[in-house]
Amino acid sequence: MQNTNHKVLVANRGEIAIRIMQACQKLGLGFVCVYTAEDSASGHVRMAKEHGGEKSLYRVSSYQDANELLAVADESGATAIHPGYGFFAEDYRFARRVTQRENKLIFIGPSWRIIRELGDKINTKRLARSLEVPTVPGSDRPVYDELEAEKIARQLFEFQEEQGIRRPMVLVKASAGGGGMGIEEVYDIDLFKSVYRRIRSYSLRQFSDEGVLIEQRIKDFNHLEVQIVSDRTGKNPVHFGTRNCSIQSTGLQKRLEIAPGFDPSSINYTFDAQKVLDDITEYSLAMARKVGYDNVGTWEWIVTRDGRPFLMEVNTRIQVENGVSAMISRVNGKAGVDLIAEQIRVGLGEPLGYSQENITFDGVGIEYRLIAENPEMKFTPWVGRIEDFGWDKHDWLQMHSHVPTDVAYDIPTEFDPNLALAIIWGKDLSEVKVHGKEFLNELRLTGQNQGGESLKSNVNFLRTKTDEILKF
Amino acid sequence: MDTEKRTQHLTERLTYIKDIFGDKQQENIRLLETKLEEFIQRENGLSVEDKFAALSTLEDLFGFVERNLENELTAMDKVRIVRHSQRICLRDILENVYDNYTEIGGKDENSIDPSMLIARAYITRRSGKRVYHQPVMVIGQEKGHGEEFRNGGSVKPWGNAKALHYMRVAETENIPVHTFVFTPGSFPVEDAPGAAQQIAKNLYEMAALSVPVVAVFSEGGSGGAEAIGLADSRLMLSHGYYSVISPEGAAAIEGRVRGGDRAGAELVEKCAHQLKITADDNVRMGYIDHKIQEPALGARPYHYEFFRSLRQEVIRATDEVVLNVKGFSPFRAMALRRRKGKSIEDLDLENIHVRWSLSRKARARLIAKRHAKFNKLSKSAFIDRRPIHRRVAAWFVEKGWDTYSYFKYDLWRSHQKKLMYAVEEVDAEARVLMDKVKGPWKKITKAIPANTSKADKEKELTMLSQWDEEDQGKGQWSYISPRAKEDRAITCPNAETHGCQDLWAPDLFGEYAGVCNSCGHHFPMEYQWYMHNIFDPGSIFEFNTEVESANPLGFEGFDLKLEQAKNKTGLKSSCTTFEARINNVKVVVATLIAPFRGGTVGAAEGEKFVQAAERAKKKRFPFISYVHGTAGIRIQEGVNGVIQMPRCTMAVRRYIDAGGLYLVLYDTNSYAGPLASFLGCSPYQFAIRSSNIGFAGPGVIKETTGMDIPPDYHRAQKALSRGHIQGIWDRRDARHNLSQALMTMGGRNLYYR
Repeated sequence: MQNTNHKVLVANRGEIAIRIMQACQKLGLGFVCVYTAEDSASGHVRMAKEHGGEKSLYRVSSYQDANELLAVADESGATAIHPGYGFFAEDYRFARRVTQRENKLIFIGPSWRIIRELGDKINTKRLARSLEVPTVPGSDRPVYDELEAEKIARQLFEFQEEQGIRRPMVLVKASAGGGGMGIEEVYDIDLFKSVYRRIRSYSLRQFSDEGVLIEQRIKDFNHLEVQIVSDRTGKNPVHFGTRNCSIQSTGLQKRLEIAPGFDPSSINYTFDAQKVLDDITEYSLAMARKVGYDNVGTWEWIVTRDGRPFLMEVNTRIQVENGVSAMISRVNGKAGVDLIAEQIRVGLGEPLGYSQENITFDGVGIEYRLIAENPEMKFTPWVGRIEDFGWDKHDWLQMHSHVPTDVAYDIPTEFDPNLALAIIWGKDLSEVKVHGKEFLNELRLTGQNQGGESLKSNVNFLRTKTDEILKF
Repeated sequence: MDTEKRTQHLTERLTYIKDIFGDKQQENIRLLETKLEEFIQRENGLSVEDKFAALSTLEDLFGFVERNLENELTAMDKVRIVRHSQRICLRDILENVYDNYTEIGGKDENSIDPSMLIARAYITRRSGKRVYHQPVMVIGQEKGHGEEFRNGGSVKPWGNAKALHYMRVAETENIPVHTFVFTPGSFPVEDAPGAAQQIAKNLYEMAALSVPVVAVFSEGGSGGAEAIGLADSRLMLSHGYYSVISPEGAAAIEGRVRGGDRAGAELVEKCAHQLKITADDNVRMGYIDHKIQEPALGARPYHYEFFRSLRQEVIRATDEVVLNVKGFSPFRAMALRRRKGKSIEDLDLENIHVRWSLSRKARARLIAKRHAKFNKLSKSAFIDRRPIHRRVAAWFVEKGWDTYSYFKYDLWRSHQKKLMYAVEEVDAEARVLMDKVKGPWKKITKAIPANTSKADKEKELTMLSQWDEEDQGKGQWSYISPRAKEDRAITCPNAETHGCQDLWAPDLFGEYAGVCNSCGHHFPMEYQWYMHNIFDPGSIFEFNTEVESANPLGFEGFDLKLEQAKNKTGLKSSCTTFEARINNVKVVVATLIAPFRGGTVGAAEGEKFVQAAERAKKKRFPFISYVHGTAGIRIQEGVNGVIQMPRCTMAVRRYIDAGGLYLVLYDTNSYAGPLASFLGCSPYQFAIRSSNIGFAGPGVIKETTGMDIPPDYHRAQKALSRGHIQGIWDRRDARHNLSQALMTMGGRNLYYR
């Protein structure tokens, strides 16, 4: 890092806050950390106390109060803000405010226009289609005309029948809606009209907009991601490979991520898996070039059983599972890639310094998300005190956690109960499975809550799922 | 009359003079006082004849002094006269002017509103040997002689509603309406209905009331006067006043008096003079047709001569109105005309008989005449800087539009529909015929299978579709408030109750359009925001830009203030009128803009509004009134301003009766006169959530009624619940809602019914 006169405000908590601070240390930058009352025992506070120095730790009432965060930034003399993931990470208004206020700061993330453009799913879909990037069949704009809607729905049913889908299904949703509101599935074209009208009037009442989206609903698919990194010029994005995030909880939350997305060398797929991986990385890079993407981002893809990729959405932030991609990546043949450090570096305006040819991949990585929850009870979170938490060190293992291993720790109820990320490496699929199981077997994780109930975790779930990784 | 009563009477006359002049005219008052004292001192020693003689001398002296004082009356003295408890009231008039009457709606305090008096009365005339009983509906405010329950003639909304009801009854019965205006102003309560709401309704109905209306003004205070004052013939008592606001109110505004203080007597006196409120002034400006001379120092209940002349005046006024619209009346009209100029006592009006009921055609003529009469008023109270050739050109363009709209809408429209039906029928027939002819060919082509491949279908489903320009701009405003440039956090006023987080000004005034994104509180917004974000971009075409606000009364210091307002806003009046499009629906828009003198309405604004309504009527466009904010009628223009209430309401009425769609959109604070007339009369009024809507502001309510009102008294929600407005809109949806309203309340083609 050439210019180390920066100070980064870490506007987040837990594991990612620690990762950002570590990256700052590595780059020789100062940092400021914030925490709320519930989080005062968290590892990130401890780290800031130990390594932050003067003016590096502030208590705030909420991680989501922009005014307070910016006041902290001004008070501490921070020059940049890293939002981490969640909270303000994909809030283009916050990004805009940070860069446009009187005391201008650097937002470590894509520029706000890009966050806005790619944050809108319809807009993303249109952008993709204009570059002939495949998206889920259906309308790419709100449909206002009933006849047009019916035509699209009819075509979608015919298309699915031709593809041999046993139970074709069309999704009708309010274009102004979100979060699962105003969405209905239609299995029969004869029922379409009534559903369409219902959604339309719902949308009119709720959002005073009659626009409706009609899409094919794909049920049997794998969830793949492409990790993109680009510097502030936005002209030469590179990718750090693919990830497969298909193993999820019942609430469709990721639990296990594997890089790369498929492994054609050891598993036989019914389609050309290598071509799919090449296609989606190429498509993602094309879009990144088109919008001038200028930071770290993830393109999320759906791959159907017959090997057809569809773009789902773009996440304009660093993701939880960034470490697993870093684990298998080599820049100029060297291991130890840190995507968060890269993000901060390019975010502060430094050029990337290498191109796609310099990036190679080696082996297979797994990321386990260790969470106190009960997989048998629909993954309900478990809350209580962790009394013992520890693992054996290996050179193929990276642990990221904000949970202290030397003292007992009460899990705060305000945030999601993610305890640790374990990233395992193996030179091939069979080795990584062995390593993964070894790690899970050695892991010590016990605790109790006030009801006397012992700690529940998803370790067993992860163990059984390890056998199935990368199989479609 | 015995001596005691006559002495008593003289004492009353003396107190009356004292009350009127206060500490002025001390010499005259002292003279009368000493003379009266002297007489009372030596009264017991005198014989009856001497007493009578002395009293007569004394009475002559009183009369002489009163006539002398009459010449020195100032405007404020006249205000004191009409407010005096010895002043004649409506009951006195009913007793003395009409031959018989029945009070309708209760007596004294047992009435829905004791300050509004309604009576069915008779005027009996003898023409030759025949006797005619002519019924009239008498409507007026009753001040009484100081009774508390009369509320000083300040009528509550339901009193005005009662008046309107009986005007309608008169219309059904086809009898004239005589209204007597004895009010200092309307009682500013917001109930169901609110004061403004009801006055607007009254004005709207009176604009097309199809019976002759004769109004007599004694005390004409602003909105309350207009509620019953819209008439074919407007008479005024010589000692009355007719004004936009009470002189004290004007002084309070001029002197910037706040919170319970009172303006000084000198300032009040000056304002009374400057507002030009007397009968002579109003006759000169044309707002009053005729002045009725009162006895010296104003009519009191014992001036029986005066009542006789008042009777003659109202009869003549009614006759004139009726004869003006009657089909056949050359001789009687001539007779009335010839009598003009002579004193009213010389006329033998009783001897002429005019039937006061009107035929249907005469009713239509009556309303047309009423509209023409009001339309002519206040034409010289604003500035029009156009050179003469442009005015002539504009006149020709207008006539051109008249002819064009006649051909297009009155002639062609009626035939257009028939033609369209015929074309449709022929088309349908032709299609069936062509199907039969083409039948064999189609069979052949169908036999060949179509080769639409799977790839094509997939391409169609995943290809880029066409996108309306309209939708792409969503969420982007074409005008951003200058406040969005400040880097500061703004606290929502509901933060404590709703837990809203502080908003960053550029977000709040930029993207959020001044709406708190958590509780929906609307911060006030500049009018430019609406100009740019409601109407289609670039579609605004302003007209009548040359009409400029003026200072018709020469109100002191107002020229400077007006100049400042013009420089500050770059506008020439608070009303801008333009044609624009909303989603390609053409509309005519009149706006009232708050930064220009509080959005007050004067002659220029009224004229522009009337012209806009006329234009909309001619072009068959919907007419939208966007009220960014209005504080009421511009008081510095006096009656020139207040006359805009009936004038503009009549323009609206003409437009609506011609089948137009009139929509009002309120934005910030909208109060008083305009609300109580041309805005409040619209059947479709909507408010942006930031609006306050009412008749009088909280300060005035406190001042006039002594009531403390709750803080949300004027909020849009309250206006909605009392039925004044028809809906509350989010600012960000205003364009969409307006467009929706235009489509559903009219529609592109359906609009002109």
